[in-house]
Amino acid sequence: MEAQKSATMTPRTNVASGRRSLGFEKTNLRYTPGQLTALRIPTSRRKPNTRNDIDPEQLAYIANIEWKLSYVTPLYKFRHTQLVLYSKQLSAFIVAEKQKGIAVEVGPEMGFKVVFSVVLGMTETDEDAETVFIKICSKPAFAVEGSAVKVVWSGWFTCVNGNLDYMRSLPSDFVSLPLFCTNGPESITALVKSWFTRMFDCYFGPLSLNSSILQWLGALWTECHPASNIRYLKLAWNLPTLPPLDISYTVHPQDAWNLWSSIRQNDSMEDGISIEEVRRFMKGLESHFFRHFRMHLSAGMLTRICTSLGSAHCDGTIKITGTQYITPVLMLLTECAQLKMPI
Amino acid sequence: MSSIKPFSKLPQLNTANVLVSSIFLRHHLSLNLSTFIPVFRRLARGLPLPAENEENRPRIDLVVFIVHLSSELSLVSTENSLKQLDTGYFLGKVCFLVTGARCGLVPDERLVSLRKLAGSLHCPLLFAEDQTREGVSTAAQRVLKILRVSAGLVPMVTGLYLSSLTRCTVPLDSDGSVQD
Repeated sequence: MEAQKSATMTPRTNVASGRRSLGFEKTNLRYTPGQLTALRIPTSRRKPNTRNDIDPEQLAYIANIEWKLSYVTPLYKFRHTQLVLYSKQLSAFIVAEKQKGIAVEVGPEMGFKVVFSVVLGMTETDEDAETVFIKICSKPAFAVEGSAVKVVWSGWFTCVNGNLDYMRSLPSDFVSLPLFCTNGPESITALVKSWFTRMFDCYFGPLSLNSSILQWLGALWTECHPASNIRYLKLAWNLPTLPPLDISYTVHPQDAWNLWSSIRQNDSMEDGISIEEVRRFMKGLESHFFRHFRMHLSAGMLTRICTSLGSAHCDGTIKITGTQYITPVLMLLTECAQLKMPI
Repeated sequence: MSSIKPFSKLPQLNTANVLVSSIFLRHHLSLNLSTFIPVFRRLARGLPLPAENEENRPRIDLVVFIVHLSSELSLVSTENSLKQLDTGYFLGKVCFLVTGARCGLVPDERLVSLRKLAGSLHCPLLFAEDQTREGVSTAAQRVLKILRVSAGLVPMVTGLYLSSLTRCTVPLDSDGSVQD
């Protein structure tokens, strides 16, 4: 965008100058909570393919851990080249806060180390910033050299296939890394967030996954079933009856695959999954439940969806075990995070 | 199964009847009955209404559809009920009441499609907070105001006139055309 645009110019006027018309990619227009930014959300997504170019050792830090999700507004003057400096500053900040008396569960007699690193290869487009991984490890005071460090807290910022119009409309010093995942004690998360807020003038907020996101995840994971067995498809619903009912619905993977492929048979796109197919899949599961138990699952809320490739909960926690399909999941979550930008 | 018609029965003197349609009947509005005219509230899970009560049912002045955004069934059942409603009601005797619109767990599509529906029918769309008592009483007050007009108890104002002032507008797309 032009350099003269001031930082107060909202992206709305620059976004999508003209509807993408019929026949081409169909999108829906969604507004952020401040109603000033319009983002185009696609109604169909690409089928998940395996990716092999991410370092598996770094991927091992991300897999099999339950991450708590938040969204971050764009960071001001965050440089990927200064990560060592940021590590030192963050550890100094944590020490200072500890001395002020704010409880940190690292323990008073142990030292700790903060490491910022970059995980290359997770981005999809040229506009995406590289993923930044933060690890806080504790070193016992009398440790022998070379003993294993225990990771006390870890977190990462990422942006995978973010909305191009939005990111191009940001002023030049801002880096958009909207998705922030954390694992570890809440007190350390709060400290890290307050350091980032002070250093980069950003704002953190909780990211909750609504039922349409969970349905997309379920459909994407079911689509991967022939390639890597999902072993089960578990859905959890919460019905607002008196007393409230929690329903856990487990589907055999072969049955889920049969249902999904029968939906995909009728004029489906070769390369993508559309939202209509996802809805029909969920309606199929719900009507099957209704036939047996005479209860409408759609009267309640979908709270959790699990397969052996990963699990997601509606209050913003996600666990990814099938790392070869990590990209479509992160794309969905990045989109979700960008939709929550306050303006 | 009978369909209710707005003008097929004689009105009752100084009373107002409202039909509240919601899939969660325990969330029904506790309409504040301390007005100077009696208000009779009838509850339904959806239309069409059963035929047994046809003779005893008075003339319905206002139909309020309560849509709970947290459940998809609420929206689907409202859409189905609307098809069963006589068209005479859409001239100012239908109102939509939405609960749970602020909840972050609600997908945006439901509210968007509900607003389009209300906009296309030219009906007012009210947002209500049903978890607190103040919220419920505020929503009840707003519905009562609309009810008084549609029952003909306010001189010089009819339901059709009020609905042209309170109807829901459909949000526009960024280039001025109606959102898809």
